[in-house]
Amino acid sequence: MHAGVKRTGPFEWEVPIGYIPGMRVPGKFYLSDALAGTLEEGALRQLANVATMPGVVQYSLAMPDIHWGYGFPIGGVAAFSMDGGVVSPGGVGFDINCGVRIFSTPLQEKDLDRRRELVERFFHAVPVGVGGKSRLRLSGRQLDDLMADGAAWAVREGFGTERDARFCEQGGRMPESNPAGVSEKARQRGFPQVGTLGSGNHFLEVQKVSEVYDPGAARVFGLAVGQVCVMIHCGSRGLGHQVCTDHLRVLEGATKKYGISLPDRQLACAPIGSAEGKAYFGAMAASANYAWANRQVIMHYARKVLEELYHVAYEEMPLVYDVAHNVAKFEEHTVNGKQMLLCVHRKGATRAFGPGSPDLPEAYAGTGQPVIIPGSMGTSSYLLRGTAEAMEKTFGSTCHGAGRVMSRSRAKKSLSGREVRETLAREGIIIKAPHDQAIADEAPEVYKPSGEVVRVVHEAGLSRLVARLEPLGVVKG
Amino acid sequence: MSFAELEHTADVRMEVRAPTLGELFSEAARALMHVMYGAPGAGRDMVFPLALEEEEIVPLMHAFLSEVLFISEVESVVITAARVEVQGGRLEGDLVGERYSPERHCCGQEVKGISLSGLDIVRDEGSYRLTVIFDV
Repeated sequence: MHAGVKRTGPFEWEVPIGYIPGMRVPGKFYLSDALAGTLEEGALRQLANVATMPGVVQYSLAMPDIHWGYGFPIGGVAAFSMDGGVVSPGGVGFDINCGVRIFSTPLQEKDLDRRRELVERFFHAVPVGVGGKSRLRLSGRQLDDLMADGAAWAVREGFGTERDARFCEQGGRMPESNPAGVSEKARQRGFPQVGTLGSGNHFLEVQKVSEVYDPGAARVFGLAVGQVCVMIHCGSRGLGHQVCTDHLRVLEGATKKYGISLPDRQLACAPIGSAEGKAYFGAMAASANYAWANRQVIMHYARKVLEELYHVAYEEMPLVYDVAHNVAKFEEHTVNGKQMLLCVHRKGATRAFGPGSPDLPEAYAGTGQPVIIPGSMGTSSYLLRGTAEAMEKTFGSTCHGAGRVMSRSRAKKSLSGREVRETLAREGIIIKAPHDQAIADEAPEVYKPSGEVVRVVHEAGLSRLVARLEPLGVVKG
Repeated sequence: MSFAELEHTADVRMEVRAPTLGELFSEAARALMHVMYGAPGAGRDMVFPLALEEEEIVPLMHAFLSEVLFISEVESVVITAARVEVQGGRLEGDLVGERYSPERHCCGQEVKGISLSGLDIVRDEGSYRLTVIFDV
């Protein structure tokens, strides 16, 4: 482990105040011995940088998928006091409400007799990659409604069922959305991308439930061994990216205006109650709603493919849950025995609310929130559930994925997309991507082992394992 | 090519070198296109006038690359060069490029934004050197 870091538990490590100048609280991260070697000095420094921000409460936190990003580390979580705290796009990222959802089907693996055709049909049904354009032609009014209502907008337009919106984090809609605060440029980028997957680590994956660890919770989530599911990972597309760009510049000015000293310009921020802070939050919430609508439309396309190819009834493909990975939210948490309203930033981290928490569908009140942790193309994904311990330790947060360990430049040099595709095909996993380079960039080897990452959050009590899912076919963006 | 990819775990970190500031901006735009489309291309049949003003050169580069990204995405164009003059915090000139074609520009990945983290321009061995992180 890096010098200056203290071990405080089997999976808990502390970065003490003083690790870098100006820290207001310690940093804390969760990592096993097996993953300790993957921690980069740059990620540790970013964790410490967040601890210098005004109004940060208790700890700057990072989950076991921590890695070097920009602003916050990926896997970073920080909560800010409403009184003196700040809001920052550096704690959310460019891809606002990048997130993941999973829906189940009544199909078993043996039913997928036309698996290659299924993956091909998904690839053609969902626009993917650079230049992938939406099939929808929205008016300005429709885009406003979409940004105001999120998943519910898509359902109203015929892209799902009323139940779908209820089974999204926060009902698939942030009420603080202010579409009027979204720039013309962001709208221009957003119009042609509703219902598109994007590229990079975004994907649509056909999976089977291969192992159940918690039969009671799995039953409540509607999952059993052998069942086929579909997982979708993407975000707010160009609209959210532009909102971040627009407000980053404004908030850089605000940082100076309010006399805030920061070690990294990407942490540009403003007091939560300031005009600049409110403007960013309203536009960010509008982008988050765009992302929920986007994933809802993509799920609809995927359901239609299964309906056509395997004659599965639409209502037999319920959404298990949808979670956000990159977002800031106002949430109530208990801090030192006192109930506080906080602005919780999660950047590459998942909300993991425990049993009885507010904002859960009634069906999940006893289990806690489903937590969806995607693997990489060749490795398992996991379904977990939120815990009371996460509420106490991490503002109800857990990891969001495996976490990269290899840069894209090294991946390009050491891996061939074609070889990765062929190797996975021999293992029965069919990959379809716009080009082979996209496959090399996201090969299983570039990520930490997803099983070890989820073991850490399970053992640390931040969420509890429910089921493991293995990939059968992947559409890469 | 006067740009190269540096190590960065989550995103794409580039180093760009050029003898003048104007050429540094042009090469930075080409580096961005290289990431987005696999190759910057050579066509010059599309032209976009551009004028930007910032207090300093680094925020000017951020504004410039953000504008290149925006124009490329909404106009479906691959920028092949920036014919710009840079003085202090002012930039004036135009972007030139070719129409995006899925066949010719097949092998890149979307860039979500230009990070302010690690964005730096230094004068180094008689040339300008830019380091920049593209969020992908």
